[in-house]
Amino acid sequence: MSLTALDIFDPSSYPTRRDEEWKYSDLSRALRVVPQADDVHRLSDRIVIAAGETVVRFETSTGEAAVTHEDLHFAVGEGARLTRVVILDEPEDAVSIRRSTVETAPGSVFKQYVFSTGARFQRFETHVTHAGHGAEVEMNGAYLLKDKRHFDLTTRVNHAEINGITNQMIKGLVKDQATGVFQGRIYVERGADGTDARMRHQALILNDGAHVRAKPELEIYADDVQCAHGNTIGALDESALFFCQTRGMDEPTARALLTHAFVMPVAEAIEDEALRAKVLEFLEREAETYHAL
Amino acid sequence: MLSIQNLTAAVDAKTILKGLTLEVPAGEVHAIMGPNGAGKSTLGYALAGRPNYDITGGSVTFNGEDLLDKEVHERAAAGLYLSFQYPLEIPGVPALTFLRTALNSQKKLRGEAEVTAPEFLKKVREVAKSLRIDMDMLKRPLNVGFSGGEKKRMEVLQMAMLEPKFLILDETDSGLDIDALKVVSDGVNALRAPDRGMLVITHYQRLLDHIKPDQVHVLVAGKIVRSGGPELALELEAHGYDQYLGVAA
Repeated sequence: MSLTALDIFDPSSYPTRRDEEWKYSDLSRALRVVPQADDVHRLSDRIVIAAGETVVRFETSTGEAAVTHEDLHFAVGEGARLTRVVILDEPEDAVSIRRSTVETAPGSVFKQYVFSTGARFQRFETHVTHAGHGAEVEMNGAYLLKDKRHFDLTTRVNHAEINGITNQMIKGLVKDQATGVFQGRIYVERGADGTDARMRHQALILNDGAHVRAKPELEIYADDVQCAHGNTIGALDESALFFCQTRGMDEPTARALLTHAFVMPVAEAIEDEALRAKVLEFLEREAETYHAL
Repeated sequence: MLSIQNLTAAVDAKTILKGLTLEVPAGEVHAIMGPNGAGKSTLGYALAGRPNYDITGGSVTFNGEDLLDKEVHERAAAGLYLSFQYPLEIPGVPALTFLRTALNSQKKLRGEAEVTAPEFLKKVREVAKSLRIDMDMLKRPLNVGFSGGEKKRMEVLQMAMLEPKFLILDETDSGLDIDALKVVSDGVNALRAPDRGMLVITHYQRLLDHIKPDQVHVLVAGKIVRSGGPELALELEAHGYDQYLGVAA
C-alpha cells in the first residue's frame, strides 16, 4: 500500500471510501468541517533505536485536541528491542489518525500493544517492514467500543527478508452502535524464505447494531514459509453465560466477567511489569462502565 | 423440599417433559434413570432455568417458594445447584476468580456479608485437598484444557464451596474413569446432609453403587413411569428400559 500524503487542512488530500484501504473508515465524513490550526495536534517524528539498545515506550492519548494527526517512524537497529504500548483513551467527539512505519534490522525485536476505546473517528495504522533477517515482530491489540465510537486498526507487515517472525493477536468488543475495523495484511516477498507469520483477530459483538469489519489478508510470494490467519466474529457464548448464572452470578456480572476475560490476555502478555500494570488498570477502569448494560 | 407437579416443558416448540411429578424431601437422594431422549437433562435445565426451555405447564416449589418465578441466578442463591454433564470452559477466568465471584454474588443476593480473601482461600485449600485438586490448577482458567475427571472434580469443588441446599447431578459419571468416579462420589457423599436434597440423573446403575439413592425413578418419554427403592436400579440394569417404552407411549 502506498502511503498517501495526508494534509489535515486540505480536504482534497483526504482519502475517500472509494479507496480500498479506507472503505470502512470515512475520514471525509468525520472532517466535514476542515479543522482550524488551533484544534489540531500534529506530531511527526523519527525515532531511532540504536543497535543492541532496548527501549520501552509508552504512549497515551487523552485527546485534548479535537483532531490528532501523528506520523511516527521507527528505525529499530540491529539486535535492538522496541516495545511500544499505546493507550488510546480519547473523548467521544475526537478525530484522530495515527500512522507509524517501522523498519527492522537483523535480529531486532518490535513489540506493539494497542488498547483503544475508540472515538468519533479513530484510525491507528502500523506499517512494518521486515528489512533485516531474523527479526521478530509482535503486534497485538484490544478494543472496547461503545456508543457510536469508531476504531480502525490497520496493519501492514511486509516480509522482505528471510526468517522473519510476525505474530498478531487482536481482540475486540463492540456494543451499542459502535464499529470496530481490523484490516491486517501480511505480505511475504519473493525470497523471504523461513518467514513465520500468524495473524489472529477475534471480536465479540455484544448487541445488534454494533459492527465489526474485518479484512485479514495474506499475500505470499515465497516458497518456504509458514503463514496462518484466523478471524472469528461472534456473540458471547450463551452457554457459558448460563453456566455462570447457574453458579449464582446475575446476568450483568456474568457478562462482565466473560467479556473482560476475553480481552485480558492481550494485556497480560506485556512483559514490562510497570506498563502491564498501567494497561490492566486502564482496562479495569473501563470495565466498570463498559460492561454495565 | 423440591416438589414438582405435573411439569411440562418444551425446547424449540418440541414438548419434552409431559407431566412430570416428583417429590424430593430434605435429606434424601433420589435417582432419575431413563433411556436416551427421555428428558433427563431437560429436567435439570428446566429446573435451573435455561433460556429456550419453556415451561408450558405445572409447577415447581423449592422450600415452599415458587422456583419457576425466579431468575437463573436467584435459583442458585436460593440453594439450587445444577452440575453439568459437560461443564463449560471459561477462557480467561481463573477458577478461583470464578468461584469467588459466584460465591459473593450469591451472598450479596441473600443479604449476607461477602467472604474475605483469606477466609475464601483457607476453605478452598481444604476442599481442594480432599478432592486431590492442585492449587495451581485453580489459578488456571476454569475447565480450559482440563480432563473429563478434572472438570467433574471442579464441579464438586464448586458444590462444596457454594454449599447449595439441593444438588442436581446430571450424568456426573460420564467421562470418568473408575478412580475419578470414586473421588467424585466421595466428594458428593461428603455433602449428604439432613437439610440437603439431591437428584442424581444417570443412565447407568454404576454411579448408584457409589452414591446410594433412597429412591429411584424411571423417566421415559417425559414422565416418571415407575418409582421404587434402590433395588429398582438393579432391576433396570438387568432388564433395560424396553418394558417401559410401551407404558409411556
